[in-house]
Amino acid sequence: MSDFPDTWRKPPFIRNTLLRRGLWLAILAYVVFTMATLPIDWERVSAGMGRAARIFSGAFPPSFARADLLIDGFMESLKIALLATVAGVALSIPIAFCAARNIAPRPVYYLGRATIIIARSFHPVIVAIIFVKAVGFGPFAGVLTLTVYSIGFVAKLLAERIEEIDFGQVEAMRSAGAPFFSTLIYAIAPQILARQVGLSIYQLDSNLRASAVVGLVGAGGIGATLANAFGRYDYDFALAITMVIVGVILVSEAVSGIIREKLA
Amino acid sequence: MNNPAALDHWSRFTPKQRIKRYAVLLATLLVVAWALQSIDVIWEWVWDSPAQMADLFGRMVPPDPQNLPSILQAMWETVNIATIATLFAVILSLPVAYIAARNTTPNVVTLWIGRFILVSSRSVNTIIWALLFVAIFGPGIIAGIVAIMFRSIGFMGKLLGEAIEEIDTRPVEALQASGATRFKVVLYAIVPQVMPTFFAVSILRWDINLRESTVLGLVGAGGIGIILQGAIDTFNWPEVSTILLAILAFVILGEVVSMYLRKRIL
Amino acid sequence: MLKIEKLVKRYNGGDPVLKDLDLEVGGQEVVSIIGSSGAGKSTLLRCINRLVEPTSGTITLNGTDLTQLKKSELRLARRRIGMVFQSFNLVDRLTVMENVQSGRLGYISTWAALTRRYPKEDIRRAYELMERVGIAHYANKRADELSGGERQRVGVVRALMQQPEILLADEPTASLDPKTSEQIMALLRDLANELELPVIINIHNVTEAKQYTDRIVGMRYGRIIFDDVPDALDAAAMDEIYAGVPAEDRAAQGAAA
Repeated sequence: MSDFPDTWRKPPFIRNTLLRRGLWLAILAYVVFTMATLPIDWERVSAGMGRAARIFSGAFPPSFARADLLIDGFMESLKIALLATVAGVALSIPIAFCAARNIAPRPVYYLGRATIIIARSFHPVIVAIIFVKAVGFGPFAGVLTLTVYSIGFVAKLLAERIEEIDFGQVEAMRSAGAPFFSTLIYAIAPQILARQVGLSIYQLDSNLRASAVVGLVGAGGIGATLANAFGRYDYDFALAITMVIVGVILVSEAVSGIIREKLA
Repeated sequence: MNNPAALDHWSRFTPKQRIKRYAVLLATLLVVAWALQSIDVIWEWVWDSPAQMADLFGRMVPPDPQNLPSILQAMWETVNIATIATLFAVILSLPVAYIAARNTTPNVVTLWIGRFILVSSRSVNTIIWALLFVAIFGPGIIAGIVAIMFRSIGFMGKLLGEAIEEIDTRPVEALQASGATRFKVVLYAIVPQVMPTFFAVSILRWDINLRESTVLGLVGAGGIGIILQGAIDTFNWPEVSTILLAILAFVILGEVVSMYLRKRIL
Repeated sequence: MLKIEKLVKRYNGGDPVLKDLDLEVGGQEVVSIIGSSGAGKSTLLRCINRLVEPTSGTITLNGTDLTQLKKSELRLARRRIGMVFQSFNLVDRLTVMENVQSGRLGYISTWAALTRRYPKEDIRRAYELMERVGIAHYANKRADELSGGERQRVGVVRALMQQPEILLADEPTASLDPKTSEQIMALLRDLANELELPVIINIHNVTEAKQYTDRIVGMRYGRIIFDDVPDALDAAAMDEIYAGVPAEDRAAQGAAA
């Protein structure tokens, strides 16, 4: 008939056949090996279904009997989040400048970047434990923890924003003879301010979520109330607390979304 | 000539705008002041805290590498928890994203089911899920894996759902016009368009889960958290700092890997 | 053979976009539909394969009444109708071969579609068609790496892969430069002759319509007011199709009715 080919294969994503096959093999080996060697107590797992049923029946209906405890815990979480956001954002600004390659001299840049990396790498719960051991139980440890958490997030994004600014504006100011801080205020600040405000509001929302959790290890807030409820098998109270946490997160997310939209 | 004195005054904001800005500033300051004043904190301890922190830091240095083998083993287990859980969550988030996207969901009921699953999964922190699953499955890594799965499905499902809602519908129209079934239309017109987002989101979530899985052990859900808790409870601060350094190393490694993967795939 | 009878399309209780339309397209004609924006050209075309649902009327393709088909039957019937789009409507990230083979999705198994293991017949035919339109060397290239004219050729091949009984083209050249536009129109005309396929083309470039098609159908406000060979399209007919004031026009219609 005609001399047109009758087979076709799509060019694979990884051209090198050896590499491609090797990669699939490695992934398969990893999955099989880990699933086989992970210490899982399968009996406990199957028993879990029964326990799940008991827990859920114990959890419904949620009990708001100790609502005052709930409210206290929530208010404390709110305060922790507020103060941590203010402190974190305030500290993030100088740290971000230190971590911006186009502003900071080399050694300062490395120091700034290292600070941010360390602040980001540890889960806030771990940071909370350390601070609790250092400064004692209570919301102060929570504020310190979330300040570090905020710095890790806000300073990083702010530094990236600073690195992206239009340097022409800075040059224009400098060539006109403006001193350092004036240059900062006129050429740099306007370019990062919008992002900064957006980040701060997002971080307030994030901190509110996280403050619910750091309480689990004694750093104050509603997390402590939740841990107590779980520990005492008060599943109906625990459900009530969880519902409040979810509700607060949703409201906060919606509000922060609206505010950020209005600013944009 | 016009009155020159009228032109020697300039301000960036109208009086009304200035009042609004001051009001916002004042409100913020008031809120902060209220928080500071009403928070349940012993201020003596606050002023004492730098000394306390320095003291703790002193006890943590130098790090004690004695238990390094078991620490590394536990870190490897932690990485596995994160990886396996992310893998399962990636697979499970696909159908959820499909029904939670307005343009692909079969009907209104499935849309709300999908949205509900995503919202509840996202709003409950991983560690709270872990608490629940430890109560159900008992202490151990199953609780940890399931907890990470539950949280990740919400995270990825939301971003994937948004990606699905933003696709170009024109190839969808073309394939429908040629008589392809729903599934094949999705396969050829929708999947290729969301692939980049899919990979980016999966890699990002794996990176986040690496961090999350380090603390699962603190509530009994497996991984390095157990050893960390043990070291803290026995005030073995030099070992604590070894563990922290190990965590730092693995997390940074994870970030390097994920950045590399993202660059190669996208 | 396509037969449209008394086709009406009304959106949400407003004025009908298509008013009582009758049209017959036979075995091998290349028919162009011209008219100003809002005349209903695109709606008419999309009613044929029910991308837009007709409000009333019947559309029969070689004996099958398309308007009466249920969902699954409609899907099967759509395989018989090929469509070429103004924006090409290709899947950008897939290769040309995959895009072309996606025209066969109504015929191949899900597994074949998933694994890209297309039937030998289809692959051979794809190469043949791609060679015919001049894009065979692009088989493994991503669709978004091609130029506009090349992309439209992919769209044409995709439609022809269905082995359709009729080809619909909705402003296929509107996104192309004049030279490429003529190439595509010539291609459609030649392919229609070679494959003995009836083709309906929505087009706003009247010169091209006259040059490349056998029969011109002029629409205005949802009605067909001209249906003749291209040579019969004189200035007076053009005025009727494209010019005129709405109120004046409606008053005239009311008087006639």
